Amino acid sequence: MWVEARAQQPSADASLVFEDLGTQRFAIPDCIPKSGDEASREACRTLTQVLKSDLQFENLFKFVPDNLLAAIPPLNPDNPNMIDFGGINASILVVTRAQATGSDLSVEMKVIFVKSGRVMLAKRYSGKADNPRVFAHQASDDIMTLTQYRGVARTKIAFTSDRDAQANRRTKEIYIMDYDGFNPRRVTVNRSLNLLPAWSPDGRSLAYVSYRQGGPEVFLAHIYEGRSQSLTSGKDGQAFAPAFSPDGKRIAYASSRGGNMEIWVANADGTGARRLTSSPGLDTAPFWSPTGNEIAFTSDRSGTPQIYAMDSEGLNVRRVTTVGNWNDAPAWSPSKQWSEIAYTSRLDGGFEIAVKNLESGEVRQITQGQGSCEYPTWAPSGRHLAFACRRGGKWQVAVADRLGQRVQLLPAGAGNNVYPDWGP
Amino acid sequence: MVRRRLWGLIVLGIMVSLSFHACGGKKRPPAVAQGGSSSSYGRDASSQAPLPLDSGPDVQPIGNDNTTGSEFEASDPLTGEGGPLEDIHFPYDQAVLTEEARGILEKHALWLQNHREAKVVVEGHCDERGTAEYNLALGDKRARAARDYLLSLGVAADRLTGVSYGKEKPLDPASNEEAWLKNRRAHFTVSR
Repeated sequence: MWVEARAQQPSADASLVFEDLGTQRFAIPDCIPKSGDEASREACRTLTQVLKSDLQFENLFKFVPDNLLAAIPPLNPDNPNMIDFGGINASILVVTRAQATGSDLSVEMKVIFVKSGRVMLAKRYSGKADNPRVFAHQASDDIMTLTQYRGVARTKIAFTSDRDAQANRRTKEIYIMDYDGFNPRRVTVNRSLNLLPAWSPDGRSLAYVSYRQGGPEVFLAHIYEGRSQSLTSGKDGQAFAPAFSPDGKRIAYASSRGGNMEIWVANADGTGARRLTSSPGLDTAPFWSPTGNEIAFTSDRSGTPQIYAMDSEGLNVRRVTTVGNWNDAPAWSPSKQWSEIAYTSRLDGGFEIAVKNLESGEVRQITQGQGSCEYPTWAPSGRHLAFACRRGGKWQVAVADRLGQRVQLLPAGAGNNVYPDWGP
Repeated sequence: MVRRRLWGLIVLGIMVSLSFHACGGKKRPPAVAQGGSSSSYGRDASSQAPLPLDSGPDVQPIGNDNTTGSEFEASDPLTGEGGPLEDIHFPYDQAVLTEEARGILEKHALWLQNHREAKVVVEGHCDERGTAEYNLALGDKRARAARDYLLSLGVAADRLTGVSYGKEKPLDPASNEEAWLKNRRAHFTVSR
């Protein structure tokens, strides 16, 4: 959107080098400004820091520590000395340069295989200088194309926040931010309650719940066009918890319009709505499987909320969670590699994020005992999770890798920030 | 408050005497369905349901002359809080009406009988425990339980709208038992 990338002689067999990801050791020396002006230097500082942070977040590579990088002679960007980098045990060298000109920024990146000196990837990016982070995100995602995984750096997370609530009014609005919590932007401006955003698979719109007309109804925000569209209103009954099918053609939601809370499905424009479940209990929180053939949901038909799955026509309902007396808000991993569902589970009085592997039946806990966490959502690769946690009386969006080994709060800004949905 | 209660009692007295009169004076048709169909709920004298107050053949509408009429303070139009009808409360993770809640709703039905221009949004609220979606569903069930009971007491359906707020608008934002108790409620936003 902001960046035009042009490849320069990409190496045809580059992916072979990356087959054994765990053994690659990246050297990412500081970006070198092409001119001495402060704007270029500042852009370079941001670029280096964000690129490192992006690649570290991918959780696939090793990195040469900064103190070793500082110990070798300064990098000559036109002719890097591979012996220096080999000496500090680097296998991949990432060389970046930046030039700010007025309001424009151009960045060059080369990814070099240290052993042979071969350039695996060379890119030049140009765009507006107001957000240098986006250049680093694109560079990180381009490096990720050398692996079998899709990079996470340019993905966005939608969420609900009360940060712009007016005094005495409990208003909440929908926002989006970069995956790392930076660059938050407000989507809805109706000063009502706006909740539970859900990305369309093409990343161009968000379904969400709004009380702008009184009761909860599902709307669709076309975020790059600045308009919204009503999907369920005027049909006698409340509707919430929208979820797009993976092909973007259908939308599932919960509604009580038939008299009891059930799962409904409609075309993406809200037409053709029909009911999928018919249990006397509460059925809510639908979420599609990556194939689009199944829908997971929460139901209290057994007495307590538990996760169930059914096929997308509403048949063959089966219970998914069997451990614990409260399991809710399923999120089916979009990955083809891992068949698993993340959900919110009540443990020892608090709520925590858990993941059930559908093949082995094994359950693993992602968060533990640091205050309530709820509402998990997967990154598009299925390699990371985001969710909301209460820390020190305030709700904040947090992220973790899929095994739950690294949990970190995002710097998502003021207010309570909840109901994250990780978009494309 | 005292005056309102007093009028309530007077009106209740009139209602009761009227219904006794109606029951004794007319030969009632048998219940619609012998098997105890729910369609006869509230209309069949042999059932234990409360008598209808708003409509139906047995009761005369009562005018505003013996009440405070339209003089009432509506809820805050911005926040929805306040208003003449007190909240009812629910047990944790439940939408059943307690005896206390039923008693309050019966008073509300009477008040609505006397304030026919009042319209009510029945809001279902939950405490903060559990996810947004589950609590929206639970809040819907609570609003529905309160609204259904008011309907069974004869309040006209077009005066009652149900809305679930789940855990999104807690009365008390604190995180303790006392706040949770306050927040598990049906609230009645009254407008003219």
